[in-house]
Amino acid sequence: MELFLQTLLNGLLMAGVYALVATGLALSLGVVGIVNFAHGEFLMLGAYLSYLLFALWGLDPLLSLGLAFAAAFAVGGLTYYGLIRPVLKAPELNQMLLTFGLSVILQNLALLLFGADTRVVAPPYQAATLTLGPFFLGAVPFGAFLLSAGLLLLLQAFFTRSRLGLAMRAVAQNRLAPGLLGIEAEGVYLLAFGLAAALAGAAGVMLSVMLYASPTVGFLFTLKSFAIVALAGLGNLKGVFPAALVLALAEALVSTYVPGGGGWVEAVFFLVLFLALVGRSRRAL
Amino acid sequence: MRLEVKDLATGYGKAQVLFGVSLEVKEGELVALLGANGAGKTTLLRAVSGLLRPWQGAVLLNGRDLKGLSPARRARLALGHVPEGRQLFPLMTVEENLRLGAAFLAPRREKEGYERVYALFPRLAERRRQLAGTLSGGEQQMLAIGRALMGFPQILLVDEPSLGLSPRLAEEVLLALKEVARGGVGVLLVEQNVALSLEVADRAYVMEQGRIVLEGSPQRLSADPRVREAYLSL
Repeated sequence: MELFLQTLLNGLLMAGVYALVATGLALSLGVVGIVNFAHGEFLMLGAYLSYLLFALWGLDPLLSLGLAFAAAFAVGGLTYYGLIRPVLKAPELNQMLLTFGLSVILQNLALLLFGADTRVVAPPYQAATLTLGPFFLGAVPFGAFLLSAGLLLLLQAFFTRSRLGLAMRAVAQNRLAPGLLGIEAEGVYLLAFGLAAALAGAAGVMLSVMLYASPTVGFLFTLKSFAIVALAGLGNLKGVFPAALVLALAEALVSTYVPGGGGWVEAVFFLVLFLALVGRSRRAL
Repeated sequence: MRLEVKDLATGYGKAQVLFGVSLEVKEGELVALLGANGAGKTTLLRAVSGLLRPWQGAVLLNGRDLKGLSPARRARLALGHVPEGRQLFPLMTVEENLRLGAAFLAPRREKEGYERVYALFPRLAERRRQLAGTLSGGEQQMLAIGRALMGFPQILLVDEPSLGLSPRLAEEVLLALKEVARGGVGVLLVEQNVALSLEVADRAYVMEQGRIVLEGSPQRLSADPRVREAYLSL
């Protein structure tokens, strides 16, 4: 029983970061209308930025978080401006090829610059654990969960209270009306894409401590995010956290209870994606 | 504020829809634009608000040529457009929809806007927390008009507000537009419901196949044999 609860706890802690990354993907998909296969590469960028700042100046990842958020926002904005905007009206296949190509380029650029080794950011508190009765909480996963949850709550307030947040949701629901109401959709797209990248960048900093930075760390999260977004329903931002929780719990359960489970964990998202798509198509019939 | 359309021609792809349309809407005037399906009424509104590029001719707001301005820029110049099919944000509440109508104004004007819209359509005030997608057809139309009014337009284009509404609701909506016009807004109303429009309008144009074929006071138009035969089935 204790093992079971500990497993659920591990899953819950992971769900925060998953939700953060997947919310970004849901934003670029729902608001800008682009299938961004390079979403995880913004995460990789954040992870390497955190690594560099730590390796060069010993900067604490907690401080890197804000920097990575801003840097990824800027990179996301530039990506939108230079690459995405020209193909907004292009066929979907072309858009997907473009973002897929961007993902390949960025991964190989990272390979060139940093090599294939995984890099871990190891601040003093990296291995610290908290005990909660019979349970163990890693200080880093716990901190990452709190930070992710905090960011998601801020985001929730942004989407329901601020005009800009409302405008982002509005653009996702109707493409014609915002222009007639004096809202420049182009500007909203730019900010939404930047924000999507920034969320991934912040998650990347957390993962540089929880997991590692590597050229392919982002791509894995792109795939997982797609599974989460498919489960939540396209454009459904509120559904992202519950869906992320489902994936993270499923992974934790597989890791604990399936013999040799560690190796199967990274395939769980595929099962979730499969079941989500089958479930949706059955409901649509 | 005054809207002038001069010799406007436009269309989709190679298919020309408008062939040199000219019309005018003055401050505080309710002008009806009548005509059958496919006459080019919606196309005209789309060209005025910048959703469609004119091939020739001009759209002037208070004498200023709007050429090259995006729909959003035109909206900020106090040109409102209630589009065909209402185009609400279905997963947002009534109040959120209204708030987006005032997105480019100073925040303090928002409150003034709510008061004005809720006074015009008290039913929206009752439903302010309800999702727009769950409103009845009439309420959705009121919301679409209210949302456009939140931006304090001085010229308001309204596309087929009576579509799909019961005769009683259609009348209620058109009377509300009349009240908006009395408040100083120039309203250009596109309608297929000719009889009802002629009751509320100050002036009317009749369009056929992309051209204005008749214009004048409602009295004159209702007396015109062509209108009586083609649109009023008298």
